[in-house]
Amino acid sequence: MKVAYKHLINFIPSKPSIEDISNKLFQLGHEHEVYEEIFDMDLTPNRGDCLSINGLLRDLAVFFETIPFGEIYDGDIKPYEIDFINKAPKACPHISFLKIDIDEDIKPYEGLLQGYFNDLNLNKNNFFTDISNYISYETGQPTHCYDANKINKVISLEIIKGDYEFEPLVGEKIELIGENLAFLEGNNVINLAGIMGGLDTSCSSDTKSVIVECAYFDPEIILGKSIKYNINSDAAYKFERGVDPLCHEKVLRRFIKIVENHANIKNIEVFNKDYLKFSSNPISFDEKKLNKILGTLINKNEIQNHLRKLGFSITDDKIFPPSHRADIKTNNDIAEEIARVQGYNNIQPSPLEIYSLDNDHEDSKLLEKNIQNHLIENGFFEVINNPFVKNETPNSIKVYNPLDLNRKYLRTDLENSLIDNLLYNEKRQHDSVKLFEISNVYFSSSEIKKKKILGIICSGRVGKNFVDFSKKIDKDYLINLLKSLSSGIEINPKLVPREDLDSKSKNEIVYLEIELDDLRGYGIEDKCGASKKLSNDSFIKYKPISNFPSSTRDLSFSIKDNKGYYDLQKYILNFKHHLIKEIFIFDFFINKKNNNEIKLGVRIIFQSKTATITDKQVNNIMQIIKEHTISINGVSIPGLNRC
Amino acid sequence: MSNLDNVDPPLISKVKGSLHPINQVKDYLINMLAQMGFHEVDGPEIESEEFNFDMLNIKKSHPARQMHDTFYVKNKGYVLRTHTSPVQIRSMLKSKPPLAITSAGKVYRKDDDATHLPMFHQVEGIYVDEDVTFANLKDLIHQILHNLFGNDVEIRFRPSYFPFTEPSAEVDILSENGKWLEILGCGIVNPIVLENCKIDSNKYSGLAFGLGVERIAMLKYGVNDIRDFYKSNLDFLNQFK
Repeated sequence: MKVAYKHLINFIPSKPSIEDISNKLFQLGHEHEVYEEIFDMDLTPNRGDCLSINGLLRDLAVFFETIPFGEIYDGDIKPYEIDFINKAPKACPHISFLKIDIDEDIKPYEGLLQGYFNDLNLNKNNFFTDISNYISYETGQPTHCYDANKINKVISLEIIKGDYEFEPLVGEKIELIGENLAFLEGNNVINLAGIMGGLDTSCSSDTKSVIVECAYFDPEIILGKSIKYNINSDAAYKFERGVDPLCHEKVLRRFIKIVENHANIKNIEVFNKDYLKFSSNPISFDEKKLNKILGTLINKNEIQNHLRKLGFSITDDKIFPPSHRADIKTNNDIAEEIARVQGYNNIQPSPLEIYSLDNDHEDSKLLEKNIQNHLIENGFFEVINNPFVKNETPNSIKVYNPLDLNRKYLRTDLENSLIDNLLYNEKRQHDSVKLFEISNVYFSSSEIKKKKILGIICSGRVGKNFVDFSKKIDKDYLINLLKSLSSGIEINPKLVPREDLDSKSKNEIVYLEIELDDLRGYGIEDKCGASKKLSNDSFIKYKPISNFPSSTRDLSFSIKDNKGYYDLQKYILNFKHHLIKEIFIFDFFINKKNNNEIKLGVRIIFQSKTATITDKQVNNIMQIIKEHTISINGVSIPGLNRC
Repeated sequence: MSNLDNVDPPLISKVKGSLHPINQVKDYLINMLAQMGFHEVDGPEIESEEFNFDMLNIKKSHPARQMHDTFYVKNKGYVLRTHTSPVQIRSMLKSKPPLAITSAGKVYRKDDDATHLPMFHQVEGIYVDEDVTFANLKDLIHQILHNLFGNDVEIRFRPSYFPFTEPSAEVDILSENGKWLEILGCGIVNPIVLENCKIDSNKYSGLAFGLGVERIAMLKYGVNDIRDFYKSNLDFLNQFK
C-alpha cells in the first residue's frame, strides 16, 4: 500500500517531518520504504486495520495529536427501502446501502480527492468510482458503486454453488467454480462479493444516481478468491485481512461529504442492517501479567494511557479492544501493543540461565559425522541437492502443486542427483570428481516412510600427486576407502554406465548408496574423529569463481643437482599469478641408469575470471616460469635450449 | 657433474574435501546454541498439516497455507515442512518444561527466483520455563548476534507478526554499508501454542527464534547469490575447506 506523506500530515496538526513519521511507523512495526515522499507500506497480515490513512493515524495517535477522521456529512438521511435479501448473514453480518442522486454538473476534483489522484499518479475512472477508491484509501473500508438505473430487480447476497458466468469490471469474463459469495440481480451475478463488481451494473461518467454498497465480509470467505480467479483487487486484500464491522455510518457520511464538495445532491437515502450483533470480547486487565510477559516495570497508568491512545476502552479490570482490532484477543496481544508503544528497542535485555531437564544427550550423529570426516579427509566434497525430480519411481511421493512438471515427485534415491553433479563438474574440466551426499528420502506406502541414506559418487584420477595421478578410480578404490574406515564393512558399489549419459569421458563412474543405519555395528561411531569445527574467525571470505574454461600446460624437468631439485620445487609450487588456478607435481622419477637424474612433471592450470584465457596469456606466464626454472643450477627442460 | 644423493620425493600433500558450507554454518549455529544450553532434536521433513500449521496457531485462513506458498504431498493432508517448528511441537508434547531445544534442517516453500529457493535451511530454538520474558529473549538474541557478528554489531528489534509467537519481533543488524539487514525472527511463544502442547500457559512461558542458515552463510562468507550454494560446483565448494 502506498501512502503519500502529505496526505498523512493533513490529519496531523503538528506536521511532523517525514523522518519522524517514518521512525515512528518502524517503531510500531509498520515496515516501509520511502521514496519521493511516498510511504510504500509492507504491513504484517494481522494489521489489515492499518491499510488506510485513518488506520495508520490510529496507530500514530500514540505519538502525535491527530484528526482521526475526515469531515463528514452530518445532516439527516432518509431510510432507503431497497429490495435486498441477505441469504448469507454469517458471511456478511453487517451491510449498508447508500443511494445518492446528483445534478448533472460535477466540479473538477479538489482537496484530498484531487491530491489522491495527482500525488499517487493514479488514473481516474468516473466520479462515483473515484470517490469509492479514495474512501478505501482514506478509511480502509472498500465500497462498491452500482449505477442505480441499471438495477431493476431484487438484489440478493448468497453463497452460490455451481457454474455461473461473471464479467468483472476489469478483465475478461470468468466462470465461477465451486462455492462463491455473490450479489445477484435475479439469476445474474452482478458482484463477486468482496472481490470485484460486475461490468453490467457498473457506474460510468453518465451515472447520476448511485447505490453505494458498504459491507463487512468474513475474511475466510474472501480468502484465496482473487488468486483463484486471477483478479487483482484492493478490496479483496482488505477484506481478507479484516475491516472494521462498525464503520459503515461514518464511512458513508464521509462519502456523502466528498460528493457534496463536488456536486449538488438531490437526494440521499440509506439502508443499514446488522444481521449478527458485534461484540468485543474483553480481556482481563492485569498489569502484573503484562509486565511479566515483557520483563518490564511499566505502571498501570502508563499502560492505560498507551492503550487509550490506541483506541482501547478500559475499566478497572477489563480491556475492550476497538472494533477494528480483530487481532487482539489475549494478554500477549496487549503486551505487544504496550511493547510497540514503548519501543522494542527500549526494553532492556535481561539475562536468563537456560536450564533444561532433558539435557543428557548422546551425540546421535557421531556415525554420520565420522563418515563425513573420513570422506572429507580423502578428498570428497559434500553436496546438497533438492529432492524434486521429474520421474516417478516405485513408492515415490507426488507433489500436488509442483513448481513445474520437471519437479513433480520426491526422489527416492540420490543417484541421479549425484550423477548430475558429477557430469556438471566434468564439463567444467575436472578430471577427478569425488562427491557425497547424506539425505533423508521418503517413500509412500500406507504411511510415509523415511530413510537416511549416504550416496557416494567418484570418477577420474585418484589424486593430484605423483603417486595417484596416473591411477584411475575404480570399484576397489571405493571399497578400500571404506574398509580403511572400518575393515569389517562389506559394500558393493556399482559402475554407472556412461552410454546413456551426456558425457565424453571414458573414466568409470563408481557409485555407492547405502542406508546410514546399515553402517552401524562396525565401530564407526566409536571413532574419535577430528571433525573440523568452524570458529567465528575461520569463516573464509569467498572469492567469486570463474565461469570461463581453463587451460592446462605440463612441464617436464630434468634435474641433476640436489639443491636445484629443492629450489625448483620451492619456486614452482609457490609461484603465484592471478591467472593460475592450480599447480601440482604429477610425476617424479629417479633414473638410476643415468646418474640418478630426476624427472619431475609439473601441471599448471590457467583460468581467467573475466574472459576465456588466451594462448598468448598462458605462453607469457610459461615463459617466465621456464626462464626462471632453467636458471636454477642443475635444472633443464628437455627439448628447450637454455637461452 | 651430477651431485645427486638420496633425495626426498616431493611431499604428497593430501588434498582434502569439505563439508558443504551450509552444513558448516548449520553446525556452527547448533554448537553455539549447545554451549548456551540448547540441545538438538530432529524431525521429519514431511509433516502433517496439524503439526506444521494447526498446532502452531496458523489458521486455515493464513496465506502461508495456500497452495501457492506451501508444497502439499501425498493426500494433501501432508506438506513439505515450511519451517522446523513442528519438531519443537513434538518435543513439547513429549517433554515437560523446562526445555531448551534447537531444531535444524531443510525446509520448503513454493518459491524459486534469484533470491528464494524452494528448499533452504533453518535453525530454530525454543526455551520454555517459568517466567521467561521478552527481555530474556532480547538478551539471548544479543548473545547470538554478538557471537556471529561481534560485540560491536548494532542490533534493532522491530515488531512483527508470527501466529506462533506474541509479541513477535524481527531483528536487523546494521551492515557495513549503513543498511539494516533482517537477520532473524523471534518472539514469546504464543500461549495458545503452549496449551496445544498441553503445557500450562499460566505457569510457563517460552521464547522462540529462527535463523535462516543461507542468510547467515551469505553474510559470513560474502556469497552474493544464494543459488551458488546448490550448484555443486567443485571450484565453489573447494573454497570452504
